Amino acid sequence: MTELPRWRRYLRFARPNVTADVDDELAFHIEMRIQRNIELGMPEDEARRDAAKRFGDVSLVRDALVDHDKRKQSAAGRREFMADFIQDLRFGLRSLRRAPGFALAAILTLALGIGANAAIFSVVDAILLRPLPFERPSDLVSIGSGSGGEFVALRERLRSFSQIAAYVGQTHPIDDGQEALRVEGAAITTNLLRTLGVSPMLGRDFTEEEGRLGDNGVLLLGYGLWQRQFGSSPDVIGKRVLVEGLPHTVVGVMPADFHFPNKDAQYWQPYTFNPANVGLTWAVGGKRFIGRLAPGVVLSQAQREVRDVWPTLRRLNPLWDPGPEYRREVRTTRLQDDLVGTTGRLLWILFGCVLLVLLIGCVNVANLLLARATARERELSVRAALGGGRGRLIRQLVTESLLLSTLGSLLGIVLAYVSVKWLVAVMPAGVPRAHEIVVNGTVLGFTALVAVATGILFGTIPAVRATNFGTTSVVGFGRRITAGLSHHRVSGFLVAGEMALAVLLVIGATLLVRSFSALRQVEPGFQTTHVIAARVSPPGGSYEDRARVHSLYTAILDRLSATPGVRSVAAVDKLPIAQTIWGIAARVEGQFEDAKRPLPEINHWQMVTPRYFETMGIPVRGRPFAESDRADQLPVTIVSEGVARKFWPRGDAVGKRIGYPYDSPWLTIVGVVPDTKQDSLRDTTSLSMYVPWQQGTRMSGSEMWVLARSSSEPGALATTMRRIVREVDRSAAVSDVRTMDAVLSSSVQKARFTMLLVAAFALAALLLGAVGIYGVMSYLVGQRMQEMGIRIALGAPRAGVVRLVVGRAAMLAAAGAAVGLLAAFFATRSLASLLYGVSATDPLTFFLVPVVFLIVAVLASAAPALRATRVDPVRALRAD
Amino acid sequence: MPLRQDPGDLLQGTLGILILKSLLLGAAHGFAIARWIEETTADVLTIEEGSLYPALRRLEDRGWVTSEWGLSENNRRARFYTITAAGRRHLRNEATVWLRYSQAVTRVLRAAPAIA
Repeated sequence: MTELPRWRRYLRFARPNVTADVDDELAFHIEMRIQRNIELGMPEDEARRDAAKRFGDVSLVRDALVDHDKRKQSAAGRREFMADFIQDLRFGLRSLRRAPGFALAAILTLALGIGANAAIFSVVDAILLRPLPFERPSDLVSIGSGSGGEFVALRERLRSFSQIAAYVGQTHPIDDGQEALRVEGAAITTNLLRTLGVSPMLGRDFTEEEGRLGDNGVLLLGYGLWQRQFGSSPDVIGKRVLVEGLPHTVVGVMPADFHFPNKDAQYWQPYTFNPANVGLTWAVGGKRFIGRLAPGVVLSQAQREVRDVWPTLRRLNPLWDPGPEYRREVRTTRLQDDLVGTTGRLLWILFGCVLLVLLIGCVNVANLLLARATARERELSVRAALGGGRGRLIRQLVTESLLLSTLGSLLGIVLAYVSVKWLVAVMPAGVPRAHEIVVNGTVLGFTALVAVATGILFGTIPAVRATNFGTTSVVGFGRRITAGLSHHRVSGFLVAGEMALAVLLVIGATLLVRSFSALRQVEPGFQTTHVIAARVSPPGGSYEDRARVHSLYTAILDRLSATPGVRSVAAVDKLPIAQTIWGIAARVEGQFEDAKRPLPEINHWQMVTPRYFETMGIPVRGRPFAESDRADQLPVTIVSEGVARKFWPRGDAVGKRIGYPYDSPWLTIVGVVPDTKQDSLRDTTSLSMYVPWQQGTRMSGSEMWVLARSSSEPGALATTMRRIVREVDRSAAVSDVRTMDAVLSSSVQKARFTMLLVAAFALAALLLGAVGIYGVMSYLVGQRMQEMGIRIALGAPRAGVVRLVVGRAAMLAAAGAAVGLLAAFFATRSLASLLYGVSATDPLTFFLVPVVFLIVAVLASAAPALRATRVDPVRALRAD
Repeated sequence: MPLRQDPGDLLQGTLGILILKSLLLGAAHGFAIARWIEETTADVLTIEEGSLYPALRRLEDRGWVTSEWGLSENNRRARFYTITAAGRRHLRNEATVWLRYSQAVTRVLRAAPAIA
């Protein structure tokens, strides 16, 4: 070993004390001079004076020397540190090459853990941490949502904001003269872009005047739409396109990184409201309000003002009294939190899970290192004997760990690159800012941090343990028969901890899996098989007349029902599960008649064609709608069981009357249908009402979903449906052509995504845990071969040896599982909002998971235990 | 190294030459070097003894001397300086230059007409 002389140096150079040395040297000189002067016959005080005079300014010299020596020492220290580091690195590489199996196992474990962390972190970073790409994004606040009337009233009253803007997402057919496309976009108040602090890349922003009715025929295009439909041509400014069949002039193109309110928004038009149309202004909510905090105003002040001001608008509603609870619970939050919504919680949970996996991986590597340190005991004790200080040896070992974690994270980054692409691809629709997810500098920085942290985390304990030589073992070359018990205690502790983490993760995953399967088993209340749906969006401009809308859909439905294999067709304005189905406040005859008093809420309101219930397989008590339920006939409605139960708990609802919250004729209930799932499969609301499509209100748009039930697999109908709509009116856009089964399964996409990821992490945790137990038990058996041999030689039954090994594994697993259970009991509460149909502390899960872990521990320790029984006593005793 | 250059009555750099020369006799501590210069020049060249130490650091930085702690003749802890091979080479070169220079100056001063 050529580096031996270097080790020795450290014993001699216990960092010299520079100042003391300088003082010593100068004092020695002056004292020698005094002594000499005295020898020459001077009296002592004169000898001193003379010595001082000859020397000159002592403190000046002293300072100069101390300064010089200190610089020199630290420069030497740095050089030495680097030299040692490089030497340690070389040595580490050499020793890893000598143990390729160990190195591979450790690096792969770390690469998986670190790679998964980097991937999830890049999602967390893009969605939660990176500020929104707007000017001073932390000043942007989401104020909540409401109607246009509320917006105007709030804008006049709120003082905490320098700007208040509103937007509402919408989807309209856009026709550039060649093709009608259904494009997502938003209507925005003309000050919205100024509020956000962004401006168009090409052309101009909206002007104040363009917010007025009649002046609003202007349009801003998204970068993607501009590229795809307009060939990235700058000539697009001033071009006329049809939005909803109405001519609009393109005034600008937004930059590529502008995605508001979501990544799919591709056009923006001015949001206008007509104060003359009280119904439209006050009755239609769903506009989202955002504001920019005025200088010097903090979020909490703004929240307080909104909470104080908004409820006072209750009296302004010209239509009805929204009740004493009106806007008491407005959520005023940072815009970023609002845009991220519930995805934030989900991501933190995923991030937590992936950190747990990494921790478990670290524990495994630490255990590997511990086992290896034992194998290297001789090497280390020789070094220590030759003068390697303990600190120096620890540093060497930690450098080796850092080398491992660095190699692991390099591989991990490659994994992250690949898996981020995959993650974005399988990401459920509607995840905000998903387009911003990349492995960038921040992610690499995070990975580097994780690499260093893990290296130190899993490297330190084994390094400290490995260099903790007893006095005898320094020179004791003979192998001890019962290898360091404390060694086992450390690795046992690590494995138990690992088990605890894995139990926690697997319990979480099991809850999500159970919740997901519960969700999939939910009966929506309608029959989805053989039903296909398509969204038809006629251009609103040319379909302002209800009669035209009716003739369009009548033509489509007639042709569709004439198609072979089609058994029933219908249309509905809002498709269950696929979208939110808004409700209304309702008057109930004989119970709630005064619109000036608080009215009960009906959760969902839908407009349907006569055969909707037949097509969806929903049984009707009473009668379904008929073609004769026209606008000029008696207004009728069908309600859900929930409505019937609530208002007419005794006696039949059929024949009773309910009404809209404003002055309008009563609607007579002609039928009652079972409660069905409306907004989503998790929907717990049960109050629905349906009206015949010819009696829909004037607020209804012209967009409807066309449904067909066929006698066989309905997928084949997709092209037929598109063709029929195109033949009836070329300017109507068709989109979202999907079977109802597909609609249902994509509605649980987010739950499936979460479940799959967490389940994958949990599986990794379970595997790593099993490997951990196996490793520790193998190691223990290997170390105690001689002891086992002696036990067997002394007549211990082999079954007893098995019990010893397996029992220890089971004990470790049980201890870990107990801790994990306790942790899970508290941690799974954070999952509660994601769960459906299963409690966060589901007893079955909390019982089964630890049992599974015990079984895994027993199985994982079985092989080492059997190996222990095959120990040949004679050979075991003779070994070494 | 920003050590203050304080040559006293000596010309710049001369102190270094004197130190190196004194070390030809063997390792010595600062006081011994000062004594040797004092005796050899018969007190003609007086040096401020404090300036010896910054000069020694400069020589050490250039690799012309090395230092090591040891025991002095009266059993005190003292720092001993030793000239290195590079130091000897440097001394030889400097001495040649110096001797040639002083001979030239001497010749000029001795040339006619006599100064006094």
